[in-house]
Amino acid sequence: MTPPSPRGRALPLLGRALAGALALNLLAAACGGGSDGESGGTTTIRFANWADAEPATQPGIRALIAKFEQTHPNIKIKSEPISFTDIEHQLILQTQSGNAPDVAELAGNYTFTVAETKALQPLDELAGPAYKQSIIPEVLKLGQVGGELIGAPWTVAPIGLWYNKKVLKDAGLDPAKPPATWTELLAAARTIHQKNPKTIAFGLDTTNRPYGLDTNWPIMKSFGAQPFQGSNPTADSPGMKAYLNFMREIAKNGYTPINQKAGFFRQPAASDQVAFTVDGPYVKGVVQDANKATDEQFYDTWGVAPLPTATGQHFSAPTDHQLVLFKDSKKHKAAWEFMKFLTTSPEGVDYILDAEGSLPPVRDLTGDGAKRLDNPIMKSFREAVIPKVARPEWGSNYAKAYSPIMSGIQATMTGSQPIDSVAANLQSTLKSEFG
Amino acid sequence: MTAAATRTGAARPAPPSRPPRRRRRRGEPWLDWMTLPALIVLAVVIAYPIVRTVIVSFYDYPLLMPSHEFIGARNYERLAADPVFWTSLRSTAVFTVASVVGGMLIGLALALVTERLRGPWQLLRGALLTPWAIPVIVVAFLFRFMFEERGGVVDAVLLRTHVTGSSVPWLTNGDWALASVIIANVWSQAPFFLLVFTAALAAVPGEVVEAARIDRAGTWTMITRIKLPFLRGAALVGALLMTIQNFNNFPLIWAMTEGGPAYSTTTLVVYVYRLAFTKYDLGYASAVGFVWLVLLLGIAVLFIRVLRGRTA
Repeated sequence: MTPPSPRGRALPLLGRALAGALALNLLAAACGGGSDGESGGTTTIRFANWADAEPATQPGIRALIAKFEQTHPNIKIKSEPISFTDIEHQLILQTQSGNAPDVAELAGNYTFTVAETKALQPLDELAGPAYKQSIIPEVLKLGQVGGELIGAPWTVAPIGLWYNKKVLKDAGLDPAKPPATWTELLAAARTIHQKNPKTIAFGLDTTNRPYGLDTNWPIMKSFGAQPFQGSNPTADSPGMKAYLNFMREIAKNGYTPINQKAGFFRQPAASDQVAFTVDGPYVKGVVQDANKATDEQFYDTWGVAPLPTATGQHFSAPTDHQLVLFKDSKKHKAAWEFMKFLTTSPEGVDYILDAEGSLPPVRDLTGDGAKRLDNPIMKSFREAVIPKVARPEWGSNYAKAYSPIMSGIQATMTGSQPIDSVAANLQSTLKSEFG
Repeated sequence: MTAAATRTGAARPAPPSRPPRRRRRRGEPWLDWMTLPALIVLAVVIAYPIVRTVIVSFYDYPLLMPSHEFIGARNYERLAADPVFWTSLRSTAVFTVASVVGGMLIGLALALVTERLRGPWQLLRGALLTPWAIPVIVVAFLFRFMFEERGGVVDAVLLRTHVTGSSVPWLTNGDWALASVIIANVWSQAPFFLLVFTAALAAVPGEVVEAARIDRAGTWTMITRIKLPFLRGAALVGALLMTIQNFNNFPLIWAMTEGGPAYSTTTLVVYVYRLAFTKYDLGYASAVGFVWLVLLLGIAVLFIRVLRGRTA
């Protein structure tokens, strides 16, 4: 008997496979239909966030979502955990493919790059004047683009200068007088470094990532520098050169390890091996987790002040998290209910303070929330640091510029190229980046 | 066999004759339909992305904007004048060559040293293979902590043994940073070459080794004149595989230095990642990616030609 030809066998097989795939598709459509939308009076909100992806915040955010679902039985929250590093490009790709979630957690430049895709829903109408008035004004401004509110403030975390009173005292410095100028900081760092070279005199994030530039932005501003404004590079300026000189000095004298993330300094800070560090309010939680210090012990050891200055004007940068709503969502009202609950409810405030270690965005807190802000660290952040917050030039140009800028800073810190030439190179690189 | 015969390479294996090419019979289809599903899968997962990358490389394609403009070869002109591209290309070449050569030499030495292990001592070879089984990301963090300038074990040992007088800026100085990621990579990949060379050494015909022994060939002669010629094929295949792998090595560099300080450890794969996923400049990222692909193909073709030449 002649065996059937390969072609004769393949075609029915192909047909069967196609039929099978079609049947599976129909079955999937029948079973999964409506699971994401409003079904049976229940609205499902897709919430993309990194709080659910990180061990430190995961139990807190899950408990908070459960509490919301308990008080809002008609709304279900489908949390979509995405790591902080990936969330920006994931959301941009999801938006481009028409699969954006309803609500997402964003921060810093991420909010502004996603906003440039025109996929975010302005929140002004949903929020109303009462909500806006309940938020700290400086914090509310951070979520506005072109006069429209596109990011609801969630966790508030401006960066300040943390100083370790024990280390300062051991080095013979006045622990009650943190440096107010960069010259004073350099002098203090020199004394501390001479006393104990193993102590990190000044912890500063100099990594090549947007967060690295966020941290350095207020320092540049305090030297009268800004590497670019809009699409206009302004890196070749006396202020920028003064800032680069400062960076070279802290690196060459061994006051700061180069190319380290802000998080790198938090563990040594817990064992009093850091004198000064530029960071947000969440340092307290990390340090106490590591060294088990009580609140009183922590306040005795650590203080917070605005970042020093070289020109008399102090600045800070926000590392706040915001909540955004996507235009394509068909459930704006339910989504806004959820966003309002996360940002302003007593349960939301507790989560921000406990799990995130940040400040809540609510202007006039009462009751337990107000009591928990009544301590020297939170007071310094609310009263002395928040008013100094200046939003960096966030947007697509920031995404293009951060890498050349941070790379230029790293080259200054590690190399010996004249500062004038680093600034000139940076200026021409930014010019070509912005086209 | 005489020593002279050994020197002239008489001990080399006889080249296998090339199998005759099968002629297609009359009426036989040019394509076996059973290969169609595989071809479709290859077209979707390999051919389409490559073609699409080439097309996108001729566009100004910012991911944040809805409109994309055809700009001809402008992305390639930009690439030619981009200092970061040339720095990345240089770093890629240094990283790849140093990793492959370093890994190969260490792997070869280990294979020769452990060749005659017998009994329970053979476990040592298994232990030497463990770095290869450790995920690259773990290797990266391990070496990052070891090379830490403050409190890292490498510096601690060097300082205590007075090899260095002060801390070495392993990850914070451009040249040292590149050397550090290469060391970590060599540690991780040398066991692969150990495995390859161990297998190749086992295939060296016993009678050839025996003949050389009768000719009183010393250890060095035995290695260089008898064993190494048998290992060339394995070395070429191993080098090709590792060259391709190192050209694309992202997690090790990203986790150790993120391509810094400055651009000193930025390789092409790290640069493409930054362009595509932090600057969202897909057009230019595609141009760099395409050049990178052409380079890799060139290397692969070269290796295969050398390999074929040897077999012929």
